[in-house]
Amino acid sequence: MKLPVKIAAIVFCGIFLSLVWAVFVKNFILLLLGFIVVAFLIWLAVVRIVLRPISKINQVAKIIASGNLGQQINVSSSDEIGELGVTINLIVKNLSKAFQGMANSLRDVKEKGEELANAKAEDDAILASIGDGAIAVDRRGVIIFHNKETENLLGWSKQDMIGRLWNEILVSLDDKGAILPSNQQPISQALSSGQKVSTVCCYAKKDGSIFPVAVTASPIMVGNIVGGIIIIFRDITKEKEVDRMKTEFISLASHQLRTPLSAIRWFTELLLDGTGGELNKEQKELVQNVSDSSDRMNELVKSLLNISRIESGRIIIDPEPTDLVELVKGIIKELEAKIKDRQQNLIISAHSQLPKISIDPRLISQVYMNLLTNAIKYTPKGGQIEVYISKKEDQIISQVSDNGYGIPKKDLPKLFQKFYRGENIVKIETDGTGLGLYLVKAIIDSSRGKIWVESEEGKGTTFYFSLPLSGTPAKSGEISLDS
Amino acid sequence: MTTSNKKITVLILEDERSLQQAILKKFESSNIGAVTFSSGKAAIEYLKNNIDTLPDLIWLDYYLEDLSGLDFMYEIKKDAHLANIPVIVVSNSASPDKVQKMLSLGAKKYLLKAENKLDDIVKTIYELMGANSTTQV
Repeated sequence: MKLPVKIAAIVFCGIFLSLVWAVFVKNFILLLLGFIVVAFLIWLAVVRIVLRPISKINQVAKIIASGNLGQQINVSSSDEIGELGVTINLIVKNLSKAFQGMANSLRDVKEKGEELANAKAEDDAILASIGDGAIAVDRRGVIIFHNKETENLLGWSKQDMIGRLWNEILVSLDDKGAILPSNQQPISQALSSGQKVSTVCCYAKKDGSIFPVAVTASPIMVGNIVGGIIIIFRDITKEKEVDRMKTEFISLASHQLRTPLSAIRWFTELLLDGTGGELNKEQKELVQNVSDSSDRMNELVKSLLNISRIESGRIIIDPEPTDLVELVKGIIKELEAKIKDRQQNLIISAHSQLPKISIDPRLISQVYMNLLTNAIKYTPKGGQIEVYISKKEDQIISQVSDNGYGIPKKDLPKLFQKFYRGENIVKIETDGTGLGLYLVKAIIDSSRGKIWVESEEGKGTTFYFSLPLSGTPAKSGEISLDS
Repeated sequence: MTTSNKKITVLILEDERSLQQAILKKFESSNIGAVTFSSGKAAIEYLKNNIDTLPDLIWLDYYLEDLSGLDFMYEIKKDAHLANIPVIVVSNSASPDKVQKMLSLGAKKYLLKAENKLDDIVKTIYELMGANSTTQV
């Protein structure tokens, strides 16, 4: 029964009782007493129906307010006050659920926090124990993190590093200590391109001494933007030493080989020209074989020496303005006899207004010589070889094409490696050191050019190489090729 | 038989026995007289003691037992009697540095052993000796 009804009932009962009393009692004082009693009864009823429940609710509410969310209100009536009690119970239940939920979340967060702290401790331990220097810079290039090994390798302390710009500490140098240009600084490159950059260069320690390093700068991408760079670098002094020793060894061994080789060649020459007595046909053939093999060995020793010279970085580069077309024509003249012998057709063509280019003619001659010798060797008799030189933007591109045996696709990536010879031609033409293209690539690289190849097995091959119009910078050194 | 001119004699300075033999054999068949040394000092000694019968040409290797080809050149150029003997350097090492030094000291030619047949070297020797030499083979 709803409150208004209840209260109406009480009031009407009261009025009824009063009326009944008034009907039966005529005495004024008794009448008054009676009305007072009725009023009192009404008051009692109201208190019981309205105030007590509200007070009970209030009491429980106070307990709830003090934090005890488990307390429920005992609801007995179905009127508005009873509804209030039910509603308050619901509120409390929901609050309780919410708090429980928050408590669970908080516990999860705490657990996660512990996990993270453990993971960080592990990472810190790993970073501290890496033998390489590890540094992180933000997208402005400010150093935000480094590991202990960085301090050891560079000699800078923690205070020296945090907050500094990378180019105050991690600037890449060449092996003489000169600062490399911006497009050869791995950190600059990684910051601007968003690509990983690996290179070999030198760093300077705090005390100014220089040491060689292998550096990798990896960008941290945040969506499409570079958020920062992680730099890992390693002291490669030992590796460089080993490399230098290996190069020196090749050089020494090759030089030593030259003496007995010269003896073999001179003695076979004397045999063949009859100095020791005229040879019969068969003897001549046998000795000719020795001579051919020793010629091959001679070529091999020459190539090995050239390679060790290039690898040691001691080659002189002496650029001068050169007309590439004239250079090639000179090489072709030297190869005339071979070309005629193989009945091959060689065509040379070029752009009409090719400028002279500042390159070392001795080195680039080697390149043309090698590419043309290969074209002649690996093309069957009667074949066609073309040389085409053109200008494209700021580069001069040279092309040497043949319609010979071609190079199998799977051999293409290994073509410029030392001693690599294509599987298909090794069976046909056993003569070849596998060093020619390695040397060619080394020369092109040091001339700031690029070399690439297109080929189809059985159809032919085209080698392309570019040389920048800006030319090759001079380099002082101690030796030249073929000396 | 044509009137033969004086036979050419060459002083060979080479410290590898096997190579010495090959060169001697070639000179023999080319009718060139030879005197061989592996020691630079001994060669200089010999030259100084044989002013009247100096060789027509010196075949010089760069690396000798005791001296370098460079030191040898310095020595003979100091001596008026010896300074005019033409020298050809026949070596297996020809860095631009070495070649330039030897040529500037007066060597007539610098040849790489590995790139030259004996016959080519003998032809070069005859060229250097000029027209007043014929051989009887």
